[in-house]
Amino acid sequence: MDIWPVTSAMKANRTTIVSVSVRVAGVVCYAAIASCARHEPAAPAAAGAGPPAIPYEAHISAGGRTPAGGEFNNPFRNDPVAAENGEALFSAMNCDGCHGGGASGWVGPSLADGRWRYGGADGEIFSSIYFGRPKGMPAFGGAISATAIWNLVTYLQSLKPPAEVPTEYWEE
Amino acid sequence: MGSEAIRAMFRVAWLTSVGVVGVPLPAHAADTRAADGQWSMPSKDYSATRYSALAQINRTNAKGLHPVWTFSTGVLGGHEGQPLVVNDTMYVVTPWPNVLYAFDLTKEGYPLRWKYRPAVSPNAIGVACCDTVNRGAFYSDGRILYNLLDGHTVAVDARSGRELWNTQVADVTAGETMTMAPLVVKDRVIVGASGGEFGIYGWLKGLDASSGKVVWTARNIGPDADMLVRADKFKPPYAQGADLGANTWENASWKTGGAPVWGWLSYDPELDLVYYGTGNPAPYNPEQRVGDNKWSSSVLARRPDDGALIWAYQFTPHDNWDYDSTGAMILAEIKVNGQPVKALVHFDKNGFQYLLDRATGRLINATPFVQVNWAKSIDLRSGKPVLEPAKQTGVSKGNVKGICPSPEGAVSPASPPAYSPKLSLFFTSTNNFCTDWEATRSAYLKGTPFIGANIPYTAGPGGYLGALIAWDAGAARKVWEINEPYPSWSGVLATAGDVVFYGTLDGWFKSVDATTGKVLSKFKVGSGVVGNPITFRGPDGKQYVAVFAGIGGDWELLVGDTHSDDPADVRAPLDMLKQIARHTSKGGLVWIFGL
Repeated sequence: MDIWPVTSAMKANRTTIVSVSVRVAGVVCYAAIASCARHEPAAPAAAGAGPPAIPYEAHISAGGRTPAGGEFNNPFRNDPVAAENGEALFSAMNCDGCHGGGASGWVGPSLADGRWRYGGADGEIFSSIYFGRPKGMPAFGGAISATAIWNLVTYLQSLKPPAEVPTEYWEE
Repeated sequence: MGSEAIRAMFRVAWLTSVGVVGVPLPAHAADTRAADGQWSMPSKDYSATRYSALAQINRTNAKGLHPVWTFSTGVLGGHEGQPLVVNDTMYVVTPWPNVLYAFDLTKEGYPLRWKYRPAVSPNAIGVACCDTVNRGAFYSDGRILYNLLDGHTVAVDARSGRELWNTQVADVTAGETMTMAPLVVKDRVIVGASGGEFGIYGWLKGLDASSGKVVWTARNIGPDADMLVRADKFKPPYAQGADLGANTWENASWKTGGAPVWGWLSYDPELDLVYYGTGNPAPYNPEQRVGDNKWSSSVLARRPDDGALIWAYQFTPHDNWDYDSTGAMILAEIKVNGQPVKALVHFDKNGFQYLLDRATGRLINATPFVQVNWAKSIDLRSGKPVLEPAKQTGVSKGNVKGICPSPEGAVSPASPPAYSPKLSLFFTSTNNFCTDWEATRSAYLKGTPFIGANIPYTAGPGGYLGALIAWDAGAARKVWEINEPYPSWSGVLATAGDVVFYGTLDGWFKSVDATTGKVLSKFKVGSGVVGNPITFRGPDGKQYVAVFAGIGGDWELLVGDTHSDDPADVRAPLDMLKQIARHTSKGGLVWIFGL
């Protein structure tokens, strides 16, 4: 059974992160395990929690009141090893096939411009990868572990927007 | 006879030729339709010539062409394909969400008769490799037939816009989308799926035109039973043996081998053969699919009734370079060395122009029409390319530099050529890109891209990135060319007025003297042109030319700085196309030009 890292545990200690999915087959298994070996969990955390619902921070709240929702924070934030693992996964899981090399945009939007359709906070990026998004972003939560997804999130957050964003100027 | 009478007569001839379901077209039907002033199928006729016998607009007066009408489709995205004009109505299919508009050409301002809005899944957007394009509809027997991006084929009543049937034929969850225009032959609606970048198991299907039910499914690769191959019927000219579509793929790699159908179909009523090209084998890393990979990057000839495969010819065996062969297969009578040949002429992404005997698939000539270096030539005895060893790709080959043409193709299959039987000349867009190719191992994961290569493009030699060329296929030589600063990505229209029409990526629509290549008129149409011009005779008896403007297709991916509609998607321009966003942004417009 899948076990979800609860918010408090995640905040406290990265070693409590658990692998969400055991539905790994063949090459997917290779990709997830090989790339994430250095961040595999030591032991499962508290069981029973489902994936937390993440409020989208950029949404407008009616009445100015933000609805209750879970927090979901990246345990590997700014970790260069996790970012490196994430970069390998970005290619191994075919993310670059839609978002382009370096996540600079292809048929899918750029993820390297500091702009986010569905939010750039930790849990928002995690949710986009885990559950997918309606314009054809596949749900990867059934194919790779939560740890692998956090590595991807860390990689994407490590990308610096290019200098020419947001103004493009043509010299005569 | 007045022009009204002539038009009425042609309309009767036209109704006779296509209006009776189940009766094969007479051999002269294509000629009749060329003269009739309508545009009822994507490529104008079954021979895919994109040639109209209309001649009111000619080399002398074309300089007076000007826009007479325009309409915003309300959709931003690559407006490939072309309108249809039938019975004083113009039909336009948009990119996803695949709205179908019917304009009344008899009224001032061409108001809509109706508009059809299918339910089409947005999930398909992310599974379409190269923008949400649609290559158009087909008119047959009072119905408009076309494909939705999410894998449905629909039939809509041409008078009322009412949906007659809607059949799911492709599976988006397996990477299949639909962008091609159907071909209707007798009582079959013939369709195929895109997905060469998603490891699909490529196919062609024949649907019953009246009910929409799938009558046959023919795989383009795989075992004989799946490919509808019967040993007594299938006679490929350069190969023999059973299960060629499976035995030429190591480790059963055909199961995720691609070979999509996203281009143009043609049909010879005398031979009763449907011709179509297949796309690239998957993945791009060729070392994951050792063998010839039949019948990817090939032309196949099938019977429309039951889908039986009659012959096949592979343009690019073991395709190392994403050389889809989905471009038009144009049927023409060509004189080669003084002898008339019932030919199939094809301009391939791989840079060679092929001329085949369309009854047998036997190769008669193959000549480069742009700079080519992946092969030295095509051997006419074996039908196989003579490869350049230094330009073969794969993980073990490392980063292979300077391959020409690039995966954008010498010409994109999305940009169909035209053929003027009057001048015996072909006219085609071309691209002038080369590429480096660094293959990587790719893992198949259903519903995600299956590619495995880094492919940075470089400009080809000569200081231009595209061209429109006139080509004599009998003599295998270029007659004239117009160089363009950007890749040339529109289809071409040829007319009996000896005027050809095309559009450019930076948003010019041009008319050209077909005999000399001199530009006669040009107009800035608001967005880059990746669609195909058509011509028709209006209810007022005058000749008009219509074209879409709306940059996209591969350029949706490659020149991301022409996006202005998504503040969460801001991209740097492609190095070699830094200037194009000065000249165009995404759009969606229908234009009509007249004198």
